[in-house]
Amino acid sequence: MLQVRNLTKIYGDGTVALKNVSFEVPDGEFLVIIGLSGSGKSTLLRCINRLIDPTEGEIIWNGVDLCALKGEELRKVRRKIGMVFQNFNLVKRSSVFANVMSGRLGYAGTLASMFGKFDQSDLEMGRGVVERLGISDQMHKRADELSGGQQQRVGIARALMQEPEMILADEPVASLDPVLAHSILKTLEKLNQEDKITVLCSLHYLDLVQRYATSVIGLRLGEIVYQGSKTDIRKMTDEQFKDVYGAEAERIGASIEGGS
Amino acid sequence: MQARKTVQKEQKNSLVPPLIAAIASCVVPGLGQMLAIAVHRGIIILISLVSSIGLLIWRIYEAGKRYSDWKTIIQKAYYLNPFLYVITALIIIGYILNIVDAYQQAKPQRSKATGMIFVILLVFFFQGWEIGGIDMGSLFADADEAVPALTRVMWPWDKAISHPEEYRTTYVEVQSPCTEEPYPSGEVKEDEPYLIADPTCGDPSVVEKSLGTEFHLIGRNFIPGNTIEIWWKDPINNEFHHRVGGDYLIIKPDENGSFDVSVIMPYRTIPPVAGEGPKTWQIQARQLVSVGGAQASQELKLAVEKMIETIFIGMMATFFGIILAIPVSFIAARNLMSHSPLTLAIYYIVRTILNIIRAIEPLIWAIIAVIVVGLGPFAGILALTLHSLAALAKMYSEAIESIDPGPIEAVQATGANWFQVISYAVIPQIIPPFVSFTIYRWDINIRMSTVIGFVGGGGIGFLLAQWIRILDYKAAGIAVWFIAITVAVLDFASAEIRERFV
Repeated sequence: MLQVRNLTKIYGDGTVALKNVSFEVPDGEFLVIIGLSGSGKSTLLRCINRLIDPTEGEIIWNGVDLCALKGEELRKVRRKIGMVFQNFNLVKRSSVFANVMSGRLGYAGTLASMFGKFDQSDLEMGRGVVERLGISDQMHKRADELSGGQQQRVGIARALMQEPEMILADEPVASLDPVLAHSILKTLEKLNQEDKITVLCSLHYLDLVQRYATSVIGLRLGEIVYQGSKTDIRKMTDEQFKDVYGAEAERIGASIEGGS
Repeated sequence: MQARKTVQKEQKNSLVPPLIAAIASCVVPGLGQMLAIAVHRGIIILISLVSSIGLLIWRIYEAGKRYSDWKTIIQKAYYLNPFLYVITALIIIGYILNIVDAYQQAKPQRSKATGMIFVILLVFFFQGWEIGGIDMGSLFADADEAVPALTRVMWPWDKAISHPEEYRTTYVEVQSPCTEEPYPSGEVKEDEPYLIADPTCGDPSVVEKSLGTEFHLIGRNFIPGNTIEIWWKDPINNEFHHRVGGDYLIIKPDENGSFDVSVIMPYRTIPPVAGEGPKTWQIQARQLVSVGGAQASQELKLAVEKMIETIFIGMMATFFGIILAIPVSFIAARNLMSHSPLTLAIYYIVRTILNIIRAIEPLIWAIIAVIVVGLGPFAGILALTLHSLAALAKMYSEAIESIDPGPIEAVQATGANWFQVISYAVIPQIIPPFVSFTIYRWDINIRMSTVIGFVGGGGIGFLLAQWIRILDYKAAGIAVWFIAITVAVLDFASAEIRERFV
């Protein structure tokens, strides 16, 4: 169970990115966060694993306030939270496998891992994850030789190496075309359903939201303006969508096959 | 933007009528333009006319400073340096144009004396020509005198090979004093040089009393062209030069290797230990002949040695530069140092120090290093290390500043610690630029190390400077060739390596 209470983030230059945000995510949920660019989605996700330090508020996960953690304790919690990024954030010149293994750094010894050494069991696990995501043919290629969809699979594989209980996905499909977007989201959905990993994911397209989310929150200018369950989303009207996205937003009626 | 500003200014009316502006500019150049609200123009005219007049006065004083009163100074200066006439004339034209310009600027319909800027530029051009001592004639007048020196520099290779030489001594024996038995003269030989003396016996000179016997020497089968020295060997085996009027006797055999010469037996005291009775003397002909094959000359060996030293100076400087620059570059990278005021202060201090070190040329660092550690390669290494440290740290830190922050964020999110983040997200990103900058630096260091010797920093430059000073242009040519070849080879090699890596 993840509980976010009165979370506020004000950046050094005075920008208010999050204003008194509170919500709850039960374990096993596929929570989708919607909102315009600059509405605070990325800040919210990064506050949860403390890549950004919140100004005020509490983030309670499994009974621990993440905001109060420091150093070693923080790193231990971060191991259990995978993260997937819009721009994949792979080390482009390193091999696919090295990128995947970097997900295991939280568990590895500092000195050995600095020289690229991992336990046999970790390497075994890495091969398994690569296999599972269907990128074993690309394992020894440089990361930047892969297509966008494959690179995002590497990103997910890296997150899986952490044996995460929760995955934060910051617009994971925003730089991919619709077909690949579905394939990536299906992968996340599968992890959510089979491995019972809680997924917090920010998305842009209403159709994708309706297809994958089990619950939704909508952010506008750092405030929660919409909160809904799976059934609410199915019934979500253009009115409500516009409320989140502003008057100019249009529902993107792409030919997306529903059906699971 | 600029054009619009001028237009706006020109729309303002002059403060004074044209005539007053002209008079003002006559008193102080540019003042009339300033009064006519063409302030920039006025300032430029004022500064340029005042400075060119100042320069002119300085040059007149320089040319005639041996004289005391001003009148002679000016007279002599113009006499010695007729160029000053041209400059003076141009300044006067500029001054007149300035007055005309002020008049026209102050008129209701403004116009400019366009020639004025051109005249001012011309004044500075001629002053530059005069102060710089430019003399195009000297490029060609003495060119033929430079040809021998330049030819030696361009093709020095005959000096790279030396032929070992040795004196070959041929002698004939004579007897002193004469006895009744005739002493045998030298043998006639085939293929081998020989000497024959006539007569075969005689007496040495006696000081202030009598001249010694005159021996007529015939030499055959010597090497044509190579000089021959005539020596004596007395009965107690002392060898000495034969002198004629105080100079050594040196003979050049003809094209058949033959010579004929007459020598008077010199004065010599023979100690009593030599004993009584007739003694045998030798008359020797010593000729310099080459023996054995060609070998590398002393200069070539030295050049090779010093070239190796040079390459290693550059290499060691690069090596130390890298080692020192890597840690420094991390504290000189803004993105790693901007999280607190203290670290930011360190960043600024480090950056400033690096900029100062880099601004000072390696040659100047070498002079300082020579004062500290003395002449030799270590001084050169120190100087180049300092400069490389500053240059590399700047380049490295810029490479660190320009890395993609995404992977850092991603690796941090996995729960990795600082060291793991550096080794997984930072280092892989900075390796290509680091390698590229390092090779580039190595290239520069090798090139710099060839000249660092000029100020005593060791390496081939030291040798080159010496050879140029003693006017040994062939040896200097060898050094120049070595530098050129080495730099070219390394240029090529570093380009290859860079292509592979980056």
